[in-house]
Amino acid sequence: MSAAFVLAWILPLVCGMAVYAAIDPRSAPGRRAAVFGYGLVLGLLLTAAATALCARADTTHAVRHTAPCLLLLALLAGATTWWRTRRAVRAPLAAPPARVEKWKIVLGAAALLSLAWRSWLALREILLRPTYPWDAWDAWAVKSKTWFLLGHYAPFVSTRDWLGQHPPDAYTGPAWSYPSALAWMQVWFASGVGDWIEPLVNLPWFALWLGLLAAHYGQWRALGLSRLQALAFVYVLGSLPLLAVHVALAGYADLWIAALLGLAILSWLRWLGERNRNQLVLALACAAALPLLKLEGTVWLLLFGATVGYGALPRQRRKQVAAVLVLLLLIMAVVGKLLLPLYGLGWVNVGTESIDVPVLGRLPIGWHPGALGGLTLSLFAQSNWHLLWWLTPLVVAWRWRELRAREATRLLGLFLLLGLSWLAFLFLGTDAASWAESFTAVNRLVMHLVPATVSLCALLCCAPRRARRGRASAYAVQPAAA
Amino acid sequence: MIRRVGCGLAIVAIWLLVFGTAAHLRWNAPLLPQQRLGLDANAFRVVMGAGSQDGTSLRVGRVGEDGSALQMMPVAQLRAEDYAVLRYRFDGFPRTLELSFVFRRAGEDDVQTATVPWPGDGWHSIDLNEVPGWHGEITELGFAEYATPQIAPESNAFRPFRFDRTELWSASWRGSFGALYTSWFGCTPWALMSISALGPQREVAQPAPLLPFALAATVSSLLAAGLLLRWPRRLLLQRLCMACAALWIFLDLVWLGDFRAKHQLTEAVYAGKGWSERAALVPDQDIRLAAEQLRSYFSTQPGHQILVIADSKYTFLRLIYQMLPLNAAPLDQALGLRWPRRDTRIVLYQSTQWHYDDARGALIGAGRALAVEPVFEAGDVHVYKFRGAP
Repeated sequence: MSAAFVLAWILPLVCGMAVYAAIDPRSAPGRRAAVFGYGLVLGLLLTAAATALCARADTTHAVRHTAPCLLLLALLAGATTWWRTRRAVRAPLAAPPARVEKWKIVLGAAALLSLAWRSWLALREILLRPTYPWDAWDAWAVKSKTWFLLGHYAPFVSTRDWLGQHPPDAYTGPAWSYPSALAWMQVWFASGVGDWIEPLVNLPWFALWLGLLAAHYGQWRALGLSRLQALAFVYVLGSLPLLAVHVALAGYADLWIAALLGLAILSWLRWLGERNRNQLVLALACAAALPLLKLEGTVWLLLFGATVGYGALPRQRRKQVAAVLVLLLLIMAVVGKLLLPLYGLGWVNVGTESIDVPVLGRLPIGWHPGALGGLTLSLFAQSNWHLLWWLTPLVVAWRWRELRAREATRLLGLFLLLGLSWLAFLFLGTDAASWAESFTAVNRLVMHLVPATVSLCALLCCAPRRARRGRASAYAVQPAAA
Repeated sequence: MIRRVGCGLAIVAIWLLVFGTAAHLRWNAPLLPQQRLGLDANAFRVVMGAGSQDGTSLRVGRVGEDGSALQMMPVAQLRAEDYAVLRYRFDGFPRTLELSFVFRRAGEDDVQTATVPWPGDGWHSIDLNEVPGWHGEITELGFAEYATPQIAPESNAFRPFRFDRTELWSASWRGSFGALYTSWFGCTPWALMSISALGPQREVAQPAPLLPFALAATVSSLLAAGLLLRWPRRLLLQRLCMACAALWIFLDLVWLGDFRAKHQLTEAVYAGKGWSERAALVPDQDIRLAAEQLRSYFSTQPGHQILVIADSKYTFLRLIYQMLPLNAAPLDQALGLRWPRRDTRIVLYQSTQWHYDDARGALIGAGRALAVEPVFEAGDVHVYKFRGAP
C-alpha cells in the first residue's frame, strides 16, 4: 500500500472531522461518534469537490494537486475550532452512566459483534470483486474511469451533441447528465492508488457505511437516547439487508443519498430541539449536497427545504401559508404553468397529464394499480427491510402522542409523509410504475428515506417519559461557546 | 393446566396452518410420501462433460466444451402428476456452479429445465408443482451444471463434485415442508437484481417469502396465547414487542447466513489473486477480451468516435465500459439523431440483427443501411469505417 493511498484516506477523514468540529464545536453526548461519522462523509464529499476544482487538468496526479487544498482547509477548520472553543465554558464532568444490567451489556455486545461481522463480509466483498452491479459501471464509474485513464477531464454531453462534436473532445453515455461528485471522489482514490483498481476505488462505500452508523449513533445520543438505546437502533439500521447489499456491491449512489439525507435530518432535529445554529448549518450543507450526488437528490432537497421552511413559520400561520401554497401549486399545475427550476433536472414542467423532466424525458401521469403489488412485496414481503415497514406505522400509532407533542418528531413525520407520498405518487401515478413492478428502483428510492425513518422510530420509542406530559425533550447539551 | 395445554395446541395448529399455507401443503396428503422413486447417481448417463462412477455416486470431473455438464437418465412410465417433490443430494458442489433440473416429456425433442436452489450439504427439495412444464409423461430426467450466470466467470467456475442421489416423492407433509425449508434457508448467489431487491430469485419456482408468514405465525400465536391464558393487555403488548425483536433477530440471522453464502462464492473466485487477475475474472470474460482487442487496435489509430452495435443492451454498454477511455457510444442511441462524421468507426460485436453486406459495402440492420468499409476483424469483433448513408 503506497503512501499516497494512505494519504488519500487520512486526509479526507481529518479534513471532514476538522470541518465538522469547526462548524459545531459544542460538546454533546455521542460527540466523538458524530465527529467521526460526519467527518468521514463530509470529508469524502469535500475531497470530491476539491478534486473537481484542482485536478481537472491532471487527474492522474489528483492527490498531488488536491492534497494541499484539503490540508489548508483542515488547518483552517482546526484553527476555527480552537478559536471557537477557547472561550467556551468547560462542560462539567458528566455524571457517571447509570449501572446497566449484565444481560443488556451482553445484548449490546452481540449487536456490535453482528454489525462487525457483516461489516467484515462487506469489506471483503468490496476488496475482492471488480465493480459488479449494472449502474455502478454503466452510470457511476464511467466518468471517473474515463477521466482517470485519459489523464484529464472531458465533458459528457448528450448523444446528439456528441455526434456533432460539441465540444470536440466530449464523451457521451446513458448517464451523461448524472451528477459527478462520486466520479471525482473515485478519481481521487484511483490517483491515490496510481491505477484504476476497482476494489480500491470502491472502498469509500465501506467508509460511508461506517460514517452512516457512527453519525447516527452520535446524533441519537445527542438527541437524548441512552448508549444502549442508540446502539440498539444502530443495530436496527445496520441490520437492514439492502443497506448492507449497497455496501458490499459498491458503486451505486443511493446509499450516499440515504446517508446524507439521514445526516441532514439528524442535524435539523438537533436544531429543532436545541436551536443550535451550528447544526442547522450542517443540516443545510448536507441537504445542499444531495443534488450533487444523484438527480433524485434534488427532489429530496426540495421536500426537505419545504419542511424546514414550514417549520420555520410561526405556528399559527403554518396551515394558512401551506394551504395557500398548495392551492397555488395546484392551480399552476392545472393550467400547465408549474415550472420548477430544479438543479440537475432543468426546468421541470408539472402538468395534470405529465411531468416533463428535461434530462429524463416525459413521465405521463396515470393510475397504475399494478405497481401496488410490487410496492407491497418490496416493503412487506421480500427480505429487503426485515420488519421496518411493518413496525414503523405501528410505532407511529403507538407513540402518536409523543409524535404530536414534540416539534422535532412532528416535522420529521411530516417530511417522511411527504417523501413517502411522493414515492407512492411516482410508482402508482406515473409510468415509473414499471420500476416497482420489476423491482428495479422501488427499494432503492425507498432506501433514501430509511435512515430518517429509523431516526423517527428511535426518537418515538425512546422518548423520555416526561415528554409524554408535554415537556421539552431531555437534550443534555452544554451551553454554546461564543 | 388445561388452558396451557390448549394454548400449546392452538399454537401448534396456527404454525401448521401458516407454514402449511406457505408450503402449498395439500391438507389431505399423508404425513410421509406413499410413492418414492429413488435414483442412484451411478445410473445416470454423462451427456456433457466427463464423470466416473464412485460406488452408487457419480463423480463429475469435467465440463463439456460449452462450459456445462449434464447427466441424464431414461425413466419409464413416470407420470409427473404422481410426484410433487424432487429431492437431490450432491457432495462438494462448488459455490460457483448453478444447478438445473432437466426433464423431457414424451413426444418432445426439447428438454425442460428449471433452476433449483444450490445444493449445499445434505438433501435439498423443491416443489415440482411450481415447476412450469412438470406434467404429462416424463421419459428422461437429470441435472445440468454450469457457471452461475451473471456472477461466476466461466473459466474459473468448475471444480469436481460428486452427485449422490435423487428422489421423487409423491405429495406429503414431509416433502412439502422440506421444499419450504430449502426455499427459505437455501443459498442464493448474487445476481444483477440483488442491488435492487433481495426477493426475486433466479429459480423458476419463486418460493413463498419467509417474512410475512413468520410474522403471521408469531403474532397469531401470541394473540392466541394472550386470549387463552388471559394475559393482561400490558403483558400482551410487552410480549408482542419482545416477539417482534426476536423475529427481527431471527430474520437478521437468516440474512447473515445468506450474505455469508453469497460472499463465499466471491471468495471462491477471487481470494488469493492479484488485482489484475481479479480484474480479468469477470462473468463476461468474452466481452472483456473483445474490449482488449479493440483497445489494442485503436491504440495505433488516431482518435475516432466509435459507435458500438451488439444485440443486447448489457453487451454494448459493458463493451463500451471495458473499452474506456476509448470514446464510444451505442449506435442504438445515435440512430435517428443525426449522421455521424465520415471517419467514425463502427464496432459490430456478436450481432445477429446487423450484418455486413459485402456486395453493397454496407452494414444492414434495424431497417437501415450504413455505407462502411471493413478495417479490422478479430474473432467476433468487426470494425468498420463509416462512409455515409448509401
